[in-house]
Parts: sequence; C-alpha cells; structure tokens
Amino acid sequence: MRRKHILAGIMAAALAIGMLGGCGSSSSDAKNTESSTAAAEKDTATSGTKKLVIGDTTFNPENAEADVNPHNDYSGWACIRYGIGETLVHYSDAMEIEPWLAKSWENVDELTWKLTIQDGVTFSSGRTMDAEAVKQCLEHLLENHDRAPLDLKIASMEADGQVLTIHTSEPRPALLNYLGDPYACIIDVDAGFDNGIVAGTGPYIAVDCESGDHLTLVKNENYWNGTPKIDELTIRTISDGSTLANALLSGEIQAAYGMAYESYPLFQNDNYTISQIATSRAFFCWMNYDSPLASDPAVRKAIAMGIDKENFVDVLLEGNGYAAQGAFPEGFAFGGDQVTTESYDPEGAKAVLEEAGWTDSDGDGIREKNGEKLTIRWLTYPSRQELPLLAEAVQATLKDIGMDVEVNSTADHNTIVKDRTAWDVYASAQVACPTGDPEYFFTVCCLDSSTKNKGNFHSDTLEELEQQMAVEFDTGKRAELAVQMQQAILDDNGYVFCSFLKMSQISQANVIGYTAHASDYYQVTAELDIE
Amino acid sequence: MSIPTIRKQKIVKNHWKIRLILFGILAVLLILTALFSEQLCPYDPYLQNLANAKAAPSADHIFGTDRYGRDMLSRVIAGSRTSIFSSLILVAVITIFGTVVGVFCGWKGGWVDSLIMRISDIFLAFPGLVFALAAAAVLGGGIQNAMLALAAISWPKYARIARGQTMAQKEATYIQAARLSGCNTGQIIRRHILPNIAGAILVTAMLDIGTMLMELAGLSFLGLGAKPPAAEWGSMMSDTRNLLATHPWVPFAPGIAIFVSVTVFNLLGEAVRDWLDPHSER
Repeated sequence: MRRKHILAGIMAAALAIGMLGGCGSSSSDAKNTESSTAAAEKDTATSGTKKLVIGDTTFNPENAEADVNPHNDYSGWACIRYGIGETLVHYSDAMEIEPWLAKSWENVDELTWKLTIQDGVTFSSGRTMDAEAVKQCLEHLLENHDRAPLDLKIASMEADGQVLTIHTSEPRPALLNYLGDPYACIIDVDAGFDNGIVAGTGPYIAVDCESGDHLTLVKNENYWNGTPKIDELTIRTISDGSTLANALLSGEIQAAYGMAYESYPLFQNDNYTISQIATSRAFFCWMNYDSPLASDPAVRKAIAMGIDKENFVDVLLEGNGYAAQGAFPEGFAFGGDQVTTESYDPEGAKAVLEEAGWTDSDGDGIREKNGEKLTIRWLTYPSRQELPLLAEAVQATLKDIGMDVEVNSTADHNTIVKDRTAWDVYASAQVACPTGDPEYFFTVCCLDSSTKNKGNFHSDTLEELEQQMAVEFDTGKRAELAVQMQQAILDDNGYVFCSFLKMSQISQANVIGYTAHASDYYQVTAELDIE
Repeated sequence: MSIPTIRKQKIVKNHWKIRLILFGILAVLLILTALFSEQLCPYDPYLQNLANAKAAPSADHIFGTDRYGRDMLSRVIAGSRTSIFSSLILVAVITIFGTVVGVFCGWKGGWVDSLIMRISDIFLAFPGLVFALAAAAVLGGGIQNAMLALAAISWPKYARIARGQTMAQKEATYIQAARLSGCNTGQIIRRHILPNIAGAILVTAMLDIGTMLMELAGLSFLGLGAKPPAAEWGSMMSDTRNLLATHPWVPFAPGIAIFVSVTVFNLLGEAVRDWLDPHSER
C-alpha cells in the first residue's frame, strides 16, 4: 500500500511538472523558437533541404476550400495562396490590376478583349503555357464553376500563339478584374484533378492534399518568375485558434495565418514577425428574407441599431480592424463613410420595435408579437476566430433591446445556410472587394441572379443600378454607382456590415517573405524563405 | 485483541468520520452555493461591460473579468447551478433507473433478464465519451441533450450492481422466511431487498457525482453541452482557453471550480464508502 502511495505521488508530481511546462510555453517561447530554429538549421545542414510548415485556420471545407482545384467553389483561394496557381492579372497593394500571366491587354471594343500571354512559362506538368492552354482552362472553369460564368460572361475565345481573344456576350468593364479572382488561376486541365490537386504555374507544386488536414508542396524548379527557396512546404489545417497559437509557440509550425487577435501579445516580440495590412475582409450579417422574423423591416432595423460596432472593433478585435458603414472600407473610391447606415442606438431600436408592435407583454425581457417571441437564430462559424465573439457580443446588446439571440456557431454552416428555414441572421467573414472592382460583391451576394444570395435579398433599385453598372466602363461612374448600390442594400438593412479586418500573417523571425497582401491572396510566393 | 490494535482501529474509525463530516459540509456548501447562486452573485453574470474587459483580479473582481467584461466570480457562482445540479440530477436519474432495472432483472431472471442484460452490454460496449459525443451530435447541443447522452451510457453500471446484489439476496434465508410469512414480491423488494443493496448503490452514486461533473464539463468544453452565453464551467473554460497564456485568470476561475467540486464529491464518496463498506479498514 505504501509503495502504491509513493508511486501515485511520483506520477502526480510528473503530471504537474508536465502541465506546468506546457503552461509555461509563453514565457519560454524564445527558447522554443531557438530550439525549433536550431532543428530547422540542423535539418537543412544534414539533409540539405529547407522545410517550412504553415498553420492555417481556413484551409478546410468549412471555408469552402476543400482542396486546391480553383474550379471547385472557393478552393482557388488555396491554389493562389499557397503558390500553386497564378492568374492572368495581379492585384497591387492598392488593389489595382497589373500584368502577371498576361503581360499586356487591349480592350478592342466593348465586347472584345485581346490578351498577350507571357512567354516561357510552363505548368508544373511540363506543358508550355500558351493561349490555347489558357483558353482550355477558362472553358473548363466556365463549365464547372458556379460564379465564374455569371461574372465573366464569356461568349467565345480564340487562341493564336500567345494571344488570347475573348468575346463577351455583353459589355464586361470589369472582366480583367474578375480574371484576377482565384477561381481564374491558370492550370493545365489536361494534367487532371486527382484528389483535388492541379498543375499550375506557381512557385510551388502540390504533391499531396488531405482535405481539412494538410497540403504538401515542393518547389517548382522551373518557375518562370524567380527562384523558390523552400524545398518542402506543408500547409497544416489548424482550425482552432489556441491550437494554432500553441503550435507556433512550440515551433511545430513556423508561420501562421488566421491567428486569433487575442493571441497576438504572445507574438509581439523579437522572436516573431507580424505582417499586417488593412483589407476589405468584412464581418457582416446577412438577413434571411424567407424568415418570418428577419423579413420584418422593423426587426432588421433594430438589429442594425443594436450592434455596437465600435466596441466590437476596439475590444474584441483588439483594434485590429475598423468599424464598417457599408460594404467597402476607406481607401476605395467607393468605400468608407460615403454611405449612411444605422449606428448603435439601443433606445432608438427599442422605439422601432415598440412601434412595430413588438412588446414585452409577459415581463421576461423578450418582446413578443402575436404570441411569437422575438428569438433570432444567429448562424455563424468558428474558423474565423472572432465571429463567435461577435455573436456573443450581439447576443448581449440585442437582449438589451428585448431580442433573444440563439447562437449556432458551427463548422457545418455552409450546409445549414442553404436551408432558409434554419436561420434568421447569418454572420460571415468575406472579402467584399477581392477583385478591386465593386461590382463583384453585388453580383455574388445581392442580386436575384447571384449564386451566393444566401438570404434571398431583392431590391428593384439594386437590380436597376446593376444594369447600369454592368455596362459602365468609366471607373469614376462605377464608383458612384457602387455607392448608390450600397445605399440600396443598407436602406433596407438587408446586410449589416460590422467591421473590416486588418489581416495578419505571423511567422518566426527567421522566416522571410511571409507578407500579408491587401487582397488576402498571395501568401506563399517565390520570396518565401527560412534562414 | 491488544490495546494498541484497538486504539489504532479507533483512530481510523474517527478518521473516516471526520472526513465524512468535513466533505459532507463542503458538499452541502457547494450545493447551497448552487441553490442560492442568484443571491450570491456580486454582479450580473451575463452583463457585458466591454470597457472593463479582461481586467485582472482585484478587490472589485476577485477572479477578474472575461473578454466581455463579465465578472468571473459571478459567472463561476452562476455556473455552479448548471454544473452541480446537472450532475446531481443526472446521477439521481441513472441511479434510480439502473436500480429499478437491475432489481427487476435480478428478481425475475429468465429470458427477460438475459434480454435486458444484453441491451445493457451493448451500452457498456460503447466507449463512453464517443457515444456521448455521437448522441449529443444527433440530438443537438445543449445541456439537456448532453445529460441524456450520458444517462444512456451510465445506467447499465447501476443495473449490473443492483441485479447482482438482488440475485444474492434473493436466495438468502431471511427472504425465504419473509415469503413464508406471507409477504408479496413488492413488499419483499421494498422492505428487504432495497435496504440491503442500497449501500453499494449509494457508494457508486456518490463516487459518480464527480465523474459526471467532469464528463458534463467535458462535453460542454467540446461545444456539445451548454451554449453561450450560459454560465457553465466546461463551456467557460472552452470559450476562454485562447486566453490561457495572456490572461490566465479567465480560464483559471472555472477550472479551479471544477477541480474543487470534483475533489469534494470524490472524497465524500470515498468517505461514504468507508462508512458503508463492511470490508473497509474502519
């Protein structure tokens, strides 16, 4: 018995020491970084190969990125982010288009575009990229992707050597902007799509992909635009924020995307580099017009007035963002406070509900109308770490105005959101202006023809404005139209924009070239290196 | 028997008595805290005050505040109602249900006994937490569904104990005497069987309170129990684990509450076992 007690004591002490060691990782991060760096150096020295592991919270089916095939939903984001695929045009930090796989272009007439493709570019499959290969890729995209045909409106294409001529079925002023969307990554479709892996022209070649788990890449020795430095690159899906932080602290990964803002203090020291940039990634709410509650204009208006955006940004985003008015942030010609919307006004929200007949007749703090409680089903997802925080903050502020909020934060949101009987408000994080042109947001999210009009929003005004936008080539006038279009959706409170995010990428100090971009696309480039 | 041996037995006997009283008082205190949590909370546990988010422990907020500026002490106290009462209700339900089934099987025997015991074997064959996860996933989240899931996998243990004890008692001479004196089955079970098997079942139930508290907290930690903003210790730890390295007092508060409660109920269970178990060293 005595021996058992001693043994139990030793085991308990070992466990306690182990736990203390684990908890103490923050204080010993420098040591950890040194040891992992030393391990990486040793690996490089002994095998002659450079390896790098990046943790990412969003490379998963939850974010519609099941693999790296750009023709599959939003998987193009993974394709372009991890340096597998490239598009015909590139976005600058100011989100203006510049040449990439297309070295020049010409707008022959309203319906015709002539693009000259770069010479000397080969796919990772070995095939030379010419206009015919690009044409073949875009045709496959139009046949297989849901958004692309509506965005691009390509009627036909002609390939001649390195010159690709595109004819659109109607004027497409923003065609080139759309060709910079990740879905338009140029891939060799003849090389196949086995296991969601494609052959692109980027600095890295995907060799293994397990959806929601990891992606393995090797450097493209024949890359046309520089020399990739990392021999073996692994993207590890780590959807949980605290696991991601611990993985970076322990050196299990050397860089991270999607870190929770409240973990930033752990990395604000000389051992890590934080690359941060303002983006148009917005936290916003979609109202469900098929829901009896959210289709009530008074309820939508009260929700818009019941969200405390400033405090959400200052406290829960820890200042890593900006409170939003409309769909686009400051910095865009059509962004910022050019639009007006509801501001946080709990008393005003109460008055709106009161006037619409929503009263608290039973004294439980929640309003009713015709015997129905004002209980909002709030759908969101956890891989964008601050979305559940927004939900819980809103839960409290809306309760103050007599609205109950049931939060469903689930990785399965993409399935649930399709069933409009299952939710009233859907909160998501989405890049509102990924092409540098404002039309994208409306064509994807708000129109009758939109493939992602999740809440079945409809506005006659918006439809009319879109008809003008679709044929308007003048960028100044497009900006004016974009402001009016935003105002149309804001006036109806069909969408409530809460904040724009500063996106960050965090890496160990010895990682070079892991830089955040305003588009949120170009994560892995040929510049990426580890010392 | 020598005098030192008698003295030693007396000390040991007093020792379990002291433990029983001490942990009994602590358990009652925990239950009273849960019962009067609304009155005991110094602040509204659900009131957000973002201006005072993640405040360190101070005289105003002994356990500090969470990321929404909610007082952690108040949330821990409010959470005691969900966490402790859920565990107590769960243990009571599985104890009563398992005992009724076990006594019925033990008394009745035959094919009914075999059938019910095979069903209980099926439940016993499932890995506990995995089954609870699957059940909670099918039924949906929420503390009630987590309790249902845990109840489904926990009752067979009580049924097995009750059945075994009933079968042993059934053949005892005092039961035959009761039969001969004209007692019917209900009377025999109520007056003779149940009082004689109650000790073993009570000890098992007492030791299970801590286990159930941990398992419910575990399911809530995994997001299958209580939902935000409900104050429940497991979900509070899960929600705040991001802050472990930067603001450790936030997850510490519900963590220490779980640790203290589980320890108290386990030690009370052991004291009750020592008290009731004739084979223990008292």
